[in-house]
Amino acid sequence: MELSDANLQTLTEYLKKTLDPDPAIRRPAEKFLESVEGSQNYPLLLLTLLEKSQENVIKVCASVTFKNYIKRNWRIVEDEPNKICESDRIAIKANIVPLMLSSPEQIQKQLSDAISIIGREDFPQKWPDLLTEMVNRFQSGDFHVINGVLRTAHSLFKRYRHEFKSNELWTEIKLVLDAFALPLTNLFKATIELCSTHANDASALKVLFSSLILIAKLFYSLNFQDLPEFFEDNMETWMTNFHSLLTLDNKLLQTDDEEEAGLLELLKSQICDNAALYAQKYDEEFQPYLPRFVTAIWNLLVTTGQEVKYDLLVSNAIQFLASVCERPHYKHLFEDQNTLTSICEKVIVPNMEFRAADEEAFEDNSEEYIRRDLEGSDIDTRRRAACDLVRGLCKFFEGPVTGIFSGYVNSMLQEYAKNPSVNWKHKDAAIYLVTSLASKAQTQKHGITQANELVNLTEFFVNHIQPDLKSATVNEFPVLKADGIKYIMIFRNQVPKEQLLMSIPLLINHLQAESIVVHTYAAHALERLFTMRGTNNTTLITAAEMAPFVEVLLTNLFKALTLPGSSENEYIMKAIMRSFSLLQESIIPYIPSVITQLTQKLLAVSKNPSKPHFNHYMFESICLSIRITCKASPEAVGSFEEALFLVFTEILQNDVQEFIPYVFQVMSLLLEMHKNEIPSSYMALFPHLLQPVLWERTGNIPPLVRLLQAYLERGASTIASAAADKIPGLLGVFQKLIASKANDHQGFYLLNSIIEHMPPESVDQYRKQIFILLFQRLQNSKTTKFIKSFLVFINLYCIRYGALALQEIFDSIQPKMFGMVLEKIIIPEIQKVSGQVEKKICAVGITKILTECPPMMDTEYTKLWIPLLQALIGLFELPEDDTIPDEEHFIDIEDTPGYQTAFSQLAFAGKKEHDPVGQMVNNPRIHLAQSLHKLSTACPGRVLSMLSTSLNAEALQYLQGYLQAASVSLL
Amino acid sequence: KHRQHMKKFKNKGKDAAALRMQRVEVSIELRKAKKDEQILKRRNISLYAKEGNLSPGQDRPDEVIQLSLEEIVEAVNGNNPKLQLLATRVARRLLSKQKDPPINQIIELGIIPRMVEFLSGADNAALQFEAAWALTNIASGTSEHTRAVVEGGAIPALISLLSSPHMHISEQSVWALGNIAGDGPVYRDALISRDVIPSLLVLVSPVTPIGFLRNITWTLSNLCRNKNPYPPLDAVEKILPVLVCLIRHEDKDIITDSCWAVSYLTDSSNDRIQLVVDTGILPRLVELMASAHLTVMTPALRAIGNVVTGTDQQTQAAIDAGVLTVLPSLLRHTKPTIQREAAWTLSNIAAGPSQQIQQLITSGLLPPLVELLDKGDFKAQKEGVWVVANFTTGGTVDQVVELVRSGVLKPLLNLLSAKDSKTILIILDTLSNLFVAAEKLGETEKLCLLVEELDGLEKIEDLQNHENNMVYRAALNIIEKYFSGEEILDLEPQTGQDGLYDFSVEKQDFNF
Repeated sequence: MELSDANLQTLTEYLKKTLDPDPAIRRPAEKFLESVEGSQNYPLLLLTLLEKSQENVIKVCASVTFKNYIKRNWRIVEDEPNKICESDRIAIKANIVPLMLSSPEQIQKQLSDAISIIGREDFPQKWPDLLTEMVNRFQSGDFHVINGVLRTAHSLFKRYRHEFKSNELWTEIKLVLDAFALPLTNLFKATIELCSTHANDASALKVLFSSLILIAKLFYSLNFQDLPEFFEDNMETWMTNFHSLLTLDNKLLQTDDEEEAGLLELLKSQICDNAALYAQKYDEEFQPYLPRFVTAIWNLLVTTGQEVKYDLLVSNAIQFLASVCERPHYKHLFEDQNTLTSICEKVIVPNMEFRAADEEAFEDNSEEYIRRDLEGSDIDTRRRAACDLVRGLCKFFEGPVTGIFSGYVNSMLQEYAKNPSVNWKHKDAAIYLVTSLASKAQTQKHGITQANELVNLTEFFVNHIQPDLKSATVNEFPVLKADGIKYIMIFRNQVPKEQLLMSIPLLINHLQAESIVVHTYAAHALERLFTMRGTNNTTLITAAEMAPFVEVLLTNLFKALTLPGSSENEYIMKAIMRSFSLLQESIIPYIPSVITQLTQKLLAVSKNPSKPHFNHYMFESICLSIRITCKASPEAVGSFEEALFLVFTEILQNDVQEFIPYVFQVMSLLLEMHKNEIPSSYMALFPHLLQPVLWERTGNIPPLVRLLQAYLERGASTIASAAADKIPGLLGVFQKLIASKANDHQGFYLLNSIIEHMPPESVDQYRKQIFILLFQRLQNSKTTKFIKSFLVFINLYCIRYGALALQEIFDSIQPKMFGMVLEKIIIPEIQKVSGQVEKKICAVGITKILTECPPMMDTEYTKLWIPLLQALIGLFELPEDDTIPDEEHFIDIEDTPGYQTAFSQLAFAGKKEHDPVGQMVNNPRIHLAQSLHKLSTACPGRVLSMLSTSLNAEALQYLQGYLQAASVSLL
Repeated sequence: KHRQHMKKFKNKGKDAAALRMQRVEVSIELRKAKKDEQILKRRNISLYAKEGNLSPGQDRPDEVIQLSLEEIVEAVNGNNPKLQLLATRVARRLLSKQKDPPINQIIELGIIPRMVEFLSGADNAALQFEAAWALTNIASGTSEHTRAVVEGGAIPALISLLSSPHMHISEQSVWALGNIAGDGPVYRDALISRDVIPSLLVLVSPVTPIGFLRNITWTLSNLCRNKNPYPPLDAVEKILPVLVCLIRHEDKDIITDSCWAVSYLTDSSNDRIQLVVDTGILPRLVELMASAHLTVMTPALRAIGNVVTGTDQQTQAAIDAGVLTVLPSLLRHTKPTIQREAAWTLSNIAAGPSQQIQQLITSGLLPPLVELLDKGDFKAQKEGVWVVANFTTGGTVDQVVELVRSGVLKPLLNLLSAKDSKTILIILDTLSNLFVAAEKLGETEKLCLLVEELDGLEKIEDLQNHENNMVYRAALNIIEKYFSGEEILDLEPQTGQDGLYDFSVEKQDFNF
């Protein structure tokens, strides 16, 4: 492309079209630009346009297009063609910095991004003059230009904060320091001076403070890896100025906005980070400055308001104090009783207060509130920072701090008592304070696991928490109710059981509270209490203890789902699941109503599934209802089918993808409950389950395989008689699965069920085909996982059809095939089989080959008899061989195979363990001994002579042990 | 130089499983050179020398004659011995000024070759001495300054002055040669190839005055110093026996410089380390590690630290010499640099076979290690993290259990908020090692709870947002492997990218 006016014109038109809302115009234009971006001069045309176009919109559009072009094409990838020609690269690098600096801010940002992308690839070696070019602009005195340089520098240098130390990186940093550190320091000093000369000029101050923020950020990046010599020598300059900036205030820089942090806050916040960096990493050198910073930051905290815009600053500042007060050699800065009192009073307590913004979130954005308060996504909040400071101070001053706060807690509680409706926030703060003081260690699973012994948690609970929850009005002081419930939840391991039992009806009562937070907490607290462990690995709270509350618990839980804002509340649904699981058969009387409500819920949410956790627990609850009921009365399965199938059909017909795997699992569970013949309703569905479209979705595969297995277990003969034409389709599924390295074990699950349950004659005609498929896979792409599954399968086949049948079918595919499989696969690999049931199948199968397969005794296969026996004894006695060949390490194996389709999704739809060998063989070692005995009786002398001539001594010894245990001997 | 040294680290490739984490060698330095390293070059500014009335510190005002630089040139190049002496002395005095000696100006005068000539004037001892002194101080400057002296031809002249009948001249030459040797491997080897060592060693005798002996020791240490290349093997073999004697001297400075010399010799390949081990000097070094003087303790610790970067046998020799009994107090030392080097030393012992790890445990190193990790200097903490990392890589399950019992987890997890990506990554790797051990014991769940209780889980979760890709992946890996498993007990499904349940296959065995 020539750098001509005509091309500029063409490009302008296409750029304009890319902004068109009509895709019919926009898309072709985008396509066109993509098609020409490989041409020489294309980027230069864009740069010309963004500089010289008459229309501002084209300038901006060109700058964005340019940046994206750079992002896609600048990097030179090994073995791929260079996508930008060298002369364009040179021209871009020569022009982009001045162009960026002279552009208006909107375009400057795009170009600055482009520079950092280029810089990441080319700087410093291939762009040696970039730094000098940038540094020279510091002298310009034009802060628009200077800020452009600083911003670019920041995007170039910020990676120093997270990259690993390396020669290459440090060489670059050294280069940057040599060229940049001094000019930056001078700029810093000059900017600060300008701030005082322009102290009364609001617009100038804004620009200058933006520079200071960028300078402070650059300081952080440049000092991150190690303390550079230059900055050590100039620490006085930097730290003195940082310190005075921390204490600076200027009315002109204060913003009216309550939410958004202003320049002053951002700067101070960054300075806190810088001080924290030095305090952590360069303690030795920073020590002389640290006390000053502690004082300044502390004063900052005392004088900063409650508005949200200060949150980041305040939490950064508190975190700084928290990290310093834990260090032994700064202990003395905090030790004094007055200091401690004043930190508690002026820094901690005010920042623990429940603010208007918290109240707003509590009422209007409860989901966010819960996430912060309950799940600990509160890292940047003031409360959290204050809490960390309490814990930091407790490291050295637990006694005094507890003492000071006890005083505060008491006075706050007294304030509350005077006039609860006005002063309830005092109690909230008191509870929060007690919580942060008492909790030394916490986990989601157990709540608080280590508590401050100086705080009497039970006493506080009885005197101050229970009364609130006992109050007749559940909707009064919702925040305090939520606090109280949370208290039970987190201190559940510290509060005695009788107190917990007394709280249960109170919690159940609060499921009715209108406040979303309150009834959510009540549900969550119940759920947590129900998962506590007592002695003997049982639940702490028993079904018997819950007996008086079953009805009201279930009623209130389901009612809570009808409260505004909680129709898909996952905490409530989880509590329902947990209650079912705890209460077991005591829920049976309520099942008709429960299952109706669950079905309605299912129908409603299936229109637009949006809460995955809620949905999951809902299906778990459905499974529990089925299991618990059918355990007592198996015939009840019909009424569940009646209730659920309508909704299931709708889900399947509407292809609600999120729910289909669940539906298959519930159906498997239902089908397995049938003791007799498979109901016709299921048989009607059978052909649909083989539809390829279902099997294309990976999420469907495990539950579908599981469902098909249930069909085979319950209805193999029905399938053979009534759906024989579907057998190829069924095997087609097997073929599809076996073709995937990720899913082949699922294919084997299916195949194993087919072999185990289908009448032999119905699969006769396909048997050869099956083996051929398996051999092909074995030949072309065998993996350890495949071999393990394959070994289990052929041995299962051997057990079902006999060893001779196995040998015959192998040899009918190809002469001597049987010997080859024995020699190349079974004998060397059998050791890899894992799992109790799997090993047993293999042991019994191999025993059959050894003792019930005449060709093993009288053909050339005889030479494999001893090695096979040896491998079998190895399977019994040697540790499992879990080595995996090198190249297989990288294959994406999501699963290791097992005979069982143990499939984790719905825990309460779980499948019982299935052992196809079962009672037939109890002890495979003894079984081997007995089978050998039988064989030796049939051909006396032969077995003994083979053993004595070639079985190794150790194996022989083991074998003698088996014979002895079975009380048989060989002839 | 210090950093570079600290990066030296054992990497024993015995087999894949026992392969230790290897440190990246970084030779670029951002920091200031540290003051507690041995001085490379020294200027002679106050004379304790024994030539009586020549003490510059005691120059009487009437003796101080001012000459302009031009006058100096003229006099030095002239033929009047008196003026030569006078001018050389004035030049020497200028070079001996406390602040900003005019080394460059003196070099620019072009009088160095002339001063070198003066060195060989055996008939004028005073002039020899002044010239040697002036050259000493010129050589004490930058590399360029030293080069000016060498290129002026000073080396052979200075070496022959070692055998001067005047002890103060011999001593001044020792000093000048020390400065030249300290410049780097090139001049060091230039001296060695001119047989400086035998001439120096001859000067060591029971009657050598302490001050002289100090200078000799220092110069010897500079002859042992620097790598790329190391000093020639035969030179080392000649120096070592003398060092073994010197290090047993009672003078602190002599001991200090001998220790530095040994530390340079051990900062080397394993066969060089072996030469040192074979002298039987290790017990003495360990004894000196516990010295009350920081100047002695520092190089002794360095030398032992270097020895344990060697083979298992060499490390064992250091252990047998008692290094493990001294380390606890060094790990608790108030000086951060000592903490760091002690921790670095320990990290290399922890990289050894499990028997050595066992000795580390029995010698009571775990409590001070935990203390160091909890409240040591940051760089020392980083070294401490390496100790733990190596320990968990090579230790037996029982040893790892012992480590966890000692309370190492809390400070280790706290350091996950360190502002250093590498340290974070090593801690995450260490955690993976701990989990592997816990799995073997069937105590994964316990470890999970412990990590969560100590606020580690929150930190690891947070690291999933880390900018560094490897850190992010390591954190993610731990979370996925050990902390999402909790949901199996708790029946919590995973959320996929689409915000819905991820139903991709995940096998679990259940018993209901």
